[in-house]
Amino acid sequence: MSATLVPETASAASTMRRNFWRGVWRVMKRKPSRMAGVVILAGFILMAVVGPMLLPEHLPGDTSSITQPPSWEHWFGTDPQGRDVLALVVKGSRYVLLTAAVTALITVVAGTAIGLFSGFKRGRWDTVLMRLTDMKLTIPGLPLLLVLATVWQFGSPLQMGLVLGLLGWGGVARAVRSQTLSLRERGFIEAARGLGLSTSHIIGRELLPSMAPYIAMNMLISVTGAVYSQVGLFFLGVLPYESDNWGVMLNLAVFQAGAMVTPTALGYLLGPLLAILLLTLAIVLVVDAMDEIFNPRLREE
Amino acid sequence: MTLIARRLAGHLARGVVMILVVATITFFIVNNIPGDPMAARYEKLIEGGMAPQAASQAVKVLYGFQPDGTLWQQYTEYLGGLFRLDLGVSVSRPGTPVLDVLTEAAKWTVLPVLLGTLLSFLVGIILGVFAAIKRTGKLGDALAISGSLLHGIPQYVLAMLLVVIFATLIPILPAEGTVDILYEPGFNAGYIGSMAEHAVLPVVTYALSAYGGWILAMKSSVVTVLGDDFILASELRGMKRSIVFRYITRNAILPLFTLLALSLGLLLGGAVFIEKIFNYPGLGWLLIGSVQDRDYALMSGAFLLITVATILANIVADLFYTVIDPRVRSGEEAS
Amino acid sequence: MVQQAPGVRIDGLTVVYKTPAGELPAVRGIDLTLEPGSITGIVGESGSGKSTLALSLLNAVQPPGRIAAGRVEIDGLGDVVGLAGEQLRKARGRHIGYVFQAAQNSLNPLKTVGKQLLDLGRSHGVEDLRGLVREAKDLLGRMGLDGARVLDSHQHELSGGMRQRVGIMLALVLNAHLVVLDEPTTALDMITQANILKIVREVHAERGLTTLVITHDIGVVAEVADRLAVMYGGRLVEQGPTREVLGAPRHPYTKGLIRAIPRLVGDIDEAQALPGRPPTLATVPKEGCVFRERCALRMDVCDTVDPQAVADGPRTVACHAVTVTVKEHA
Repeated sequence: MSATLVPETASAASTMRRNFWRGVWRVMKRKPSRMAGVVILAGFILMAVVGPMLLPEHLPGDTSSITQPPSWEHWFGTDPQGRDVLALVVKGSRYVLLTAAVTALITVVAGTAIGLFSGFKRGRWDTVLMRLTDMKLTIPGLPLLLVLATVWQFGSPLQMGLVLGLLGWGGVARAVRSQTLSLRERGFIEAARGLGLSTSHIIGRELLPSMAPYIAMNMLISVTGAVYSQVGLFFLGVLPYESDNWGVMLNLAVFQAGAMVTPTALGYLLGPLLAILLLTLAIVLVVDAMDEIFNPRLREE
Repeated sequence: MTLIARRLAGHLARGVVMILVVATITFFIVNNIPGDPMAARYEKLIEGGMAPQAASQAVKVLYGFQPDGTLWQQYTEYLGGLFRLDLGVSVSRPGTPVLDVLTEAAKWTVLPVLLGTLLSFLVGIILGVFAAIKRTGKLGDALAISGSLLHGIPQYVLAMLLVVIFATLIPILPAEGTVDILYEPGFNAGYIGSMAEHAVLPVVTYALSAYGGWILAMKSSVVTVLGDDFILASELRGMKRSIVFRYITRNAILPLFTLLALSLGLLLGGAVFIEKIFNYPGLGWLLIGSVQDRDYALMSGAFLLITVATILANIVADLFYTVIDPRVRSGEEAS
Repeated sequence: MVQQAPGVRIDGLTVVYKTPAGELPAVRGIDLTLEPGSITGIVGESGSGKSTLALSLLNAVQPPGRIAAGRVEIDGLGDVVGLAGEQLRKARGRHIGYVFQAAQNSLNPLKTVGKQLLDLGRSHGVEDLRGLVREAKDLLGRMGLDGARVLDSHQHELSGGMRQRVGIMLALVLNAHLVVLDEPTTALDMITQANILKIVREVHAERGLTTLVITHDIGVVAEVADRLAVMYGGRLVEQGPTREVLGAPRHPYTKGLIRAIPRLVGDIDEAQALPGRPPTLATVPKEGCVFRERCALRMDVCDTVDPQAVADGPRTVACHAVTVTVKEHA
């Protein structure tokens, strides 16, 4: 009996990993839309990395065709300087995704660290940190950003990512804390301690892997929020003009070109809008797929 | 009753602390604005030939802060002003107290937000129940997807798309403003009608952008309740379907009331985009305007008001829960 | 109203659950008769299909499960597998009372017990609601509770033992004469457990019921049941009068179960756990004996042929090894 069990445990880790990827594949296959989500997201990343390299530093403006409606030559028309809107969107994607990456990094690192610390230590530290998180979740985010913009014009992608990340770790911290607590309740941590494992081992090898899905999902959700906020802030025009940016494009389209009420300028507005919608759609689909991959209730063996 | 009173007291205490924190933050933000607008103003007035005393007085009137004196003095003075609901005087609207500007703007925010939220709450709740019950079918899938998508689309994108569609491509609704100027303000059909017409798109935007959240929240709440033992138990006791349905919906809707109160508070702050796009002179519109005009007294006033609304909403949400859930009401932990 | 305790005949019952690997049986080919007025106990480990069997009595197997084959004949109702809609709903509660596991919350947390009692009455067209309340108070009183107070309480104000008694009251208050108790004492402390079992016995005798008790605890069955049926891997492996089965178990699984019970007197080491684990839906063998993986008497035939339940007087056993010996003795 025990003889048959030994090889099983030895290869358990690699089997699990293989099962995981097979699970991912199965979930993807079940709904093709999810595959589409992953493909779109990958497309955006590619666009942000490679796109700007293929385009000239300063996009050529054609003064003879300013604010044109969509045509074969310019799929989304041209802006008031006669530049191709599609090219502007491609150039702008780098800002959006770079900021999102910085936000994601800060959100995950700060959120995980604070959540783990809080859930692990419990007691007074936990209370203080959670009160702080509560407070941050209570102060309305967008108005706070607007007010902050008067003190510090956080226009560059790194600064923007920093601000959004520092304001946005609350959700991840919450999720990590409650996961830690629930693992703790199930005797997970005590059991590991009983086996003589060190705290860093428990956290690094046991807790984090089991929490990775929650962290990833909460990160994606907060990244979505960060994308909206950054584009929104530029759209509102409270930050200094930053070239190649979807929010700035929207701002100029609406408040200068009057694109909302001028049909010929519609392309200028729709370019960045569709880009945001597509990115949103991709993230929603990926979160949906992740939900099913990681949620044992939805996954069937 | 004592429990409710005790909870209320706790919340109020915490709320006051929160407000103090936010007031402090705004105070220091305004104090640290690059270039120090107050000092600049003060210097300008002195250069203009004003006596230091008068200049300081004038700047104080303009910003609600005293430019001289230690930081601590300015801070306590500012808090004292808050206590008396004295938020200073608006710069962009010379001579008007900030409080008056805020109350005027608040009504343009509160009504559409309330209307839009309640509308989306009702529709979202009802469709959420269907989405949960039919979750394995096509209808349930479609409802859930519509929910996720609308939930995912940023408010400003939604607002712009609605303007493009209903004001430009099919021009049936006004794109901006609160009322046509050709009507005499007052209680007459033309004025009210025009006001209603102008409110349609903002309200629909609020409703659509919130609807997704409600349908998803209600769906997951109903699914949770459906898995509860007492639902199966009621069915096994041969309870009528209508009664079981009532059990399900009542239990499922309970946590959503809390969310409702919270979202009403948050929406006051989230109204920024909608009011900007529809040029609707509410609190969010005021906040952006004050940021752009560097009208700091107005800015900190609007920010404080929005925060206070959120905190109040939190308190109301919790008290509401206490009143309607017997588990909390009797003082035990809700399981 | 004089109502006879109904008899129940379960015949070839098979319940399958839909899984990604196809429809897998949770309960397969069960034949079981509940004599009118008897208390029958069904024992099995978790996953043995005993709760699914209990739900089948009310035709209440929850999706993704469904009754794939067989009949459940109840006196006065007919085959409940064929019932649906309003007919089925009215049978539940009125004819068949179901008492939930004590650990579960079988009451609406937002309503008092009394209000839920009235909902129950209205659901079954009870006109004399006052009479219903009187009956409920009476039942609760007999179970040692303050009826008026309990009816005025919410679920969270009642202890586990009290909830369980409320559950029994709700199962009986409409005068049902067939009662199914699913793990009635799980998660209760020893004293309360003994109390509830005493109540079950008393109420059973007083009201003239046919009772089915589902449990994983052989002690519970020994305490209350006239007849005992042992389930393993969705199959009934042995059944018979409680004393006989416990006194002289024949199926290797029953033997193992009884050997695994630690005695209060005697050496703790005498208790021997059954090696291996019970099968799950996915791992239960598709052909041959479901118990062979853990069986000490395993033979070649067990791998391919499903042992039939063979009757021997009041007892039935489904095991190749036992059948062979019985035949040899005969």
